[in-house]
Amino acid sequence: MTSETVNSAEPVRVARRRGIDGWRWAGRIFLTLLVGFTIMPMFWMVITSLKTGFAAMQYPPQWWPASPTLDNYWRLLDPNGSVGRDFLRYFWNSMFVSVATTVLAVLVAVPAAYAFSRFRFPGRNFLFFAILLRNMFPAVVFLVPLFILMRVLGLVNTHGSLILTYLTFGLPLAIWLLKGFYDNIPIQLEQAARIDGATRFQAFFHIVMPLSTPGIIATSIYSFIGAWNEYIYAYTFLTRHDQMTLPVGIQRFFSENATDWPGLMAATFLMSVPVVVLFLVLQKYFVRALTEGAVKH
Amino acid sequence: MSSVEKQAIFRDVPGFVPKRPSFGQKIWRSRADYLYVAPAILVMLVVIAYPIYYTIELSFFNTPASLSLADKQFNGIDNYVTILTSPVFWKVTWQTIVWTVLSTFFAFLLGLGAALALHREFVGRALLRGLLLIPWVISAVAASYVWKWLYHSDFGAIGAALVQLGITDRPINFIDNSTSALYSLIVVNVWKEFSFAMIMLMAGLQTVPDSLLRAAQVDGANPWQRFWHVTFPHLSGVSTVTILLLVVQNFNSFIIPFIMTGGGPVGSTQIWITHIYELAFLRQRWGVGAAYAVLLFIIMMTLGYFYVRALTRGDESRAGA
Repeated sequence: MTSETVNSAEPVRVARRRGIDGWRWAGRIFLTLLVGFTIMPMFWMVITSLKTGFAAMQYPPQWWPASPTLDNYWRLLDPNGSVGRDFLRYFWNSMFVSVATTVLAVLVAVPAAYAFSRFRFPGRNFLFFAILLRNMFPAVVFLVPLFILMRVLGLVNTHGSLILTYLTFGLPLAIWLLKGFYDNIPIQLEQAARIDGATRFQAFFHIVMPLSTPGIIATSIYSFIGAWNEYIYAYTFLTRHDQMTLPVGIQRFFSENATDWPGLMAATFLMSVPVVVLFLVLQKYFVRALTEGAVKH
Repeated sequence: MSSVEKQAIFRDVPGFVPKRPSFGQKIWRSRADYLYVAPAILVMLVVIAYPIYYTIELSFFNTPASLSLADKQFNGIDNYVTILTSPVFWKVTWQTIVWTVLSTFFAFLLGLGAALALHREFVGRALLRGLLLIPWVISAVAASYVWKWLYHSDFGAIGAALVQLGITDRPINFIDNSTSALYSLIVVNVWKEFSFAMIMLMAGLQTVPDSLLRAAQVDGANPWQRFWHVTFPHLSGVSTVTILLLVVQNFNSFIIPFIMTGGGPVGSTQIWITHIYELAFLRQRWGVGAAYAVLLFIIMMTLGYFYVRALTRGDESRAGA
């Protein structure tokens, strides 16, 4: 009886395993090609940044730099040189704007997300949708009116104009992400604290906040990356050279005269480092939070 | 104690019948709740409601190049007529459709493939996922410059590689050529955003019950059948959200075409947003630019309706309180 069962099951199992293997190999090949496609541009960016201007302008190209040099990086990071001074200033500007945006976004989004998750006030759905809809509109729609608004507020050519603007496109996603986290924290925990005599605020601060730390981290990364990479508002609002952020600044640098490709590649590399490092270190929070709202548990 | 809590506490007391409060009473009772959302609403009002109102107004006026608002003249729907009768409008619209549809299709396809390939646990999976996500994290400005250099007509790595592999005789002119420029930019865009689709779908895959897949396997379903009849239906919700977000994002693209080609050569990579930007900021035709923006608004609101619906599906039943 037993041997019969084994015998009859055997051919099926072999066939099935072979089938799976075929698909698994297809998956591996696909993944390899995709990784190649993904890293090839980044690889070339790094290779080019290690060349001199002369070595970069050769045909056929040197696939590996004949005499690799870090000169491009030293030039960008040298606070005494004119190139380095500008680059470091742009870097600092970007850092300041991004950090300020992130801190403000979290401060504003936390109470709003909590309210959207817990309270049932009239107009709640309407307001929530209105906030989400902000993400549907391209920057260009807001550019002219915001420019005039900034003129009225006296913020043109200040970092304040960027921080205020970035806040609005960081907020919708921040609120949405955090609301997802609060929705998943059982309300019974807070109720228990309330019964023990905690005020609503105490319950929030001591119970909900610690549990939503991953959400706050994710929200912060998202705001930071969004602000760090933003281009169109910074390009339009800031005309003063010493106020510029990196995406705008490096353009101004290298499009004048003939483009210095190795220098530009070194600059794009340095510009990508903070966000990539931040992202890779905190990847799990980010991925989890981003997908939290899209997938119902 | 808010009314909501009171009701929650007394809900189980026999004989307690909650009174239906009027709308005004409801607002008054939850006045404290509004404090939490007030800062967010305030910021959004200033920076969103006002610009929307302003854009609509501007679209019915002829505003001088200096943007001096005192001198603007009402001209009815002239701006809209100008747009819809212009051949450039139809050309740009067609290019926007090609850009949006192809970018979304390929980004979704690559993202789905990557999500399926990365679904199984294996050594280095997290590393690969991180690697694949880098293009999505870095700035579009950096990506544009890197690809511009890769596509360079004389010293570009891609052109040179194709020649060395014997695929072409001479380096291809990727972005200085009006027939290939748009497609070359679509490749960049797909590179930049496919991993967004990947993480969304990876999360979606985790909701597919293993038991169902095993049951299908026992019933003799091959891998394709299992994907098509079990996995794929479970992904429909997250796929809808992902595709909608990709469509919106692609329709609103600006940086890649603006930096890589500036809409050229001969307008072949001009899409809606770059075109609006050019009309408003380079040619100071504020009224026409605003009218374009209003049309865009209408399209986005339509998409937004579906987005919010897909996003908040089941939200009411899930939330606490």
